[in-house]
Amino acid sequence: MSNTSDLLTLPPTDFDSPIPTTPRYSRTEEPIQPTLPAEPLPVSGRLLTPVTKVGSLCPCDKHKDVCDINCCCDRACSEEVALFTGCSVDTVSGKKQLCSNDVATYSLESRIDGYSELQSSVRKETNYDVFCIQSQNRVDGLSHPSPALPTDSNFDSLFKEFTSFIFGSEENGGPVAPAEHQALSGYQWGDVMVTAGESGQRGMFWLPAPCVTADCVDTSPAAFLKDQSSRCSRRVVLKQDCGSLLALKMDTYTDIRVFAGKTQDAALVPVEVASVILQSVDGTQTELMISGGENLNPVLLNPTVCANVVLKVAYVTKYNPAGEIVNVTVSLVLGFVREAALSLEQEFHITFFQEDGEEAAIHCSGNPGYVVGLPLVSGTRTAEYPLPAWTLDFPHLDLQTAQDLSLTVVVTGIARSVDPRDTVSLLHSAEDQDCLQGPHRRSPVLFGLDSVSGCTLRLKDAANCSLVLEVLLDALRGPNHANFVASFGNSPLDYPLDWIPIESNFNPVEAQSCSIPLSLHLQIEWTKYGLLMNPQAQIVSIKEVIRTNTTSLDMLSGGSSILSIRSSVAFVPVSAAALPGYRATPTINAKLPFDFFFPFV
Amino acid sequence: MAFYDVYSHPALVRYKTSVCTKATLFLVVVLCLTYISPLLVAYRSQGFWIKRRTYEEQPVVRFQYQTLLVAATSTRGDYVAWSSFPHLNNMLGANLRIPSVSVREDDQNQDGKTDLLIFQLQLPLKPEEQVYSVQLLLTFSYKLFRMSTVVMQSLAYVQHSSSVPGAKLSVSGDLRLQQRTPLPHRGLYDMYNVPVIDGSSPFASAYNLDNIIRSYQERNLTTVLSYPMPVWTVGRAAGSPFQLNIEIRYPMEVISYRPGFWETIKCAWIQYVSVLLVFLWVFERVQRFVFQNQVLTTVPVPVGKPHLS
Repeated sequence: MSNTSDLLTLPPTDFDSPIPTTPRYSRTEEPIQPTLPAEPLPVSGRLLTPVTKVGSLCPCDKHKDVCDINCCCDRACSEEVALFTGCSVDTVSGKKQLCSNDVATYSLESRIDGYSELQSSVRKETNYDVFCIQSQNRVDGLSHPSPALPTDSNFDSLFKEFTSFIFGSEENGGPVAPAEHQALSGYQWGDVMVTAGESGQRGMFWLPAPCVTADCVDTSPAAFLKDQSSRCSRRVVLKQDCGSLLALKMDTYTDIRVFAGKTQDAALVPVEVASVILQSVDGTQTELMISGGENLNPVLLNPTVCANVVLKVAYVTKYNPAGEIVNVTVSLVLGFVREAALSLEQEFHITFFQEDGEEAAIHCSGNPGYVVGLPLVSGTRTAEYPLPAWTLDFPHLDLQTAQDLSLTVVVTGIARSVDPRDTVSLLHSAEDQDCLQGPHRRSPVLFGLDSVSGCTLRLKDAANCSLVLEVLLDALRGPNHANFVASFGNSPLDYPLDWIPIESNFNPVEAQSCSIPLSLHLQIEWTKYGLLMNPQAQIVSIKEVIRTNTTSLDMLSGGSSILSIRSSVAFVPVSAAALPGYRATPTINAKLPFDFFFPFV
Repeated sequence: MAFYDVYSHPALVRYKTSVCTKATLFLVVVLCLTYISPLLVAYRSQGFWIKRRTYEEQPVVRFQYQTLLVAATSTRGDYVAWSSFPHLNNMLGANLRIPSVSVREDDQNQDGKTDLLIFQLQLPLKPEEQVYSVQLLLTFSYKLFRMSTVVMQSLAYVQHSSSVPGAKLSVSGDLRLQQRTPLPHRGLYDMYNVPVIDGSSPFASAYNLDNIIRSYQERNLTTVLSYPMPVWTVGRAAGSPFQLNIEIRYPMEVISYRPGFWETIKCAWIQYVSVLLVFLWVFERVQRFVFQNQVLTTVPVPVGKPHLS
């Protein structure tokens, strides 16, 4: 720092652009100050000119004005040289490409008294390479170009040029401002919904979700119009957390007031509780009639079981076309947590429906063709007489109750559940693996996904043949067995020709003395329908193949006394595959391969 | 006295015929065979139209200083995490653990392109914590210039887990380019110049590793960090931080591209002409035999006859 001042007095370098002669301010811009001469910034000063003399170069001189040990070229070592044992740098040479370059050599000689003495010399060395440089007239040819000197005027552009990525260069540092577009009163897609706390402070509508791990992150906001469903786990220590952890309490999810819009004066919409379902320890669910006044907070029943813990939260938000929230309802499932479970799984859903949207109640699995991954649409045929009047003044269906109770919409001919997942389903394998132990978890058959699952049957349980047959059929087919499947994802209920009956090869009447089903296989044939550009999937036939045993069960199990019962589904495409190349061949049928004129056509 | 060739010159003989003769028909057939059959031969022997070629280039890679670290600190599933995204750090709450990070990008051969990234991270741990697994995401800006100008943002993912708690993980690998389809031969290819991790998003799903990797792997052009030999050092002293040392090299890449029109034509032309020469020679012989021996009737006009014109 001591020599900064005299460095400043040096004349401006030739790197400075000739600003005084050509002012580069545009006319619209006010010249803020009289044109500053492009002075170097105080601390930068003038850059040092590179030293090229070999005799004065010393690469091992790391400490200024202090002798570096065994550095023979260090000028501060005049006295210490006698103690050196060797030279860390013994030759310093100039540019190797020159035909003759200077080389400085340093060596130590031991004197008679044991001390060392420095011998240094600078001599010319000749380079015998054919392609050597005789004389060098371009000064910067063999060195790095001198960097532009930062001045007041070019500092920003230099900074932008050289610092592309740095730590802390995030544009959006910090949390988002909840209200950015004040012009619009309603929310837009993807906006964070704003809530009001007890004392009126503004917060965000949180919907816990897994983040970098499967653990719940509580402070993840829900986005307007983005249907989300998340499943995450939460580690609990029952003794401490049962009564105190907010995430287990029902009130955390129900005591929310949402602003209808983004503006400050928007109305507050409280979250209404639509239904509360209590889940018992073994998984059966009963709906709780909310009369108010019950204490539904988590309670530690005994040291290992905590009751009334929130297991599932589903919000349904209604909005109007202006983007304002009309109402928010929440359905909860409360249940038990045992000490044995290390962590608790919670499920969160949020769905958005437009106000007065009649279609909201019924989900399609494609329009018109099935979409891969969506559940099959199935139904049962009802009597085909005109329906009684109660269907006409059908009460406005509350979606959430309808979904929870699996209400059916009955129109002429076909009846189906409003819950899209309540359809043709497969057995979902469980931990106990027992076919006879109900109730079984089921997973809906999703279009396009072949799947297999199963359970086991212990032979000693199979004594009562007719009973086992019924229980197994129930387990394989599911409780409410549909017998019709829609051929398209949006087949209307009042058009029975669009519905395909499920053919079955199983006839319980002719079932022999002891034949129990060993597997249930659903074979679904589908075809692509319509344009090549936008094919629509259509189911053409669905067949239920139940294989029963023909020999005795002991023979089948091979002595292990356990039989595996399988349930599977397969989707068979029966449409002809599209061919590469031209679908309609050109009229010149010259029998040439299709890429013969590749770069031209 | 012996005789010797003192001089020689070829004599030109013209064979004349009218249009509707067998000779004309023969000539047409021979011309067709000469010029079309090489095309068929060249095409049938494969590789006539070149559809994919390769070139070599060292990419211009810069570390974007975006980092996401997740470390499992117990066998029960406790974890600590840190990222350079403020939204994520806010969401992590008590699981946030800020490490000390040092980064250096080095241009070893001084050609203006960085060759090596040295990333060192020290993760402080509480006395009861041990590191069992590490997941780290780093993002890069990746550019290619030689044929088409490619500008994209890419990802390197380091994952290692062990049943034994570690003191240090050393990874030294290459950032390799993976192409599913060849690049175009010219133009700007900036389809993937979008952030791999959306750091401006306040939603937890934007930072879900599963989502990030899945949407990244859907791209046709990605980079992958290949580190065949990660070194997991066990035996951490109490109180010392977990160390993560990563060296990522940006090597020369062989990039495949779809050649342009003129490049395709040039290669096809070379093949065609080289086959054509053989056919020209053969059919020249055939024609000479046919006309010299008057297999087809024509009127030969020797060169001696003055041809005034």
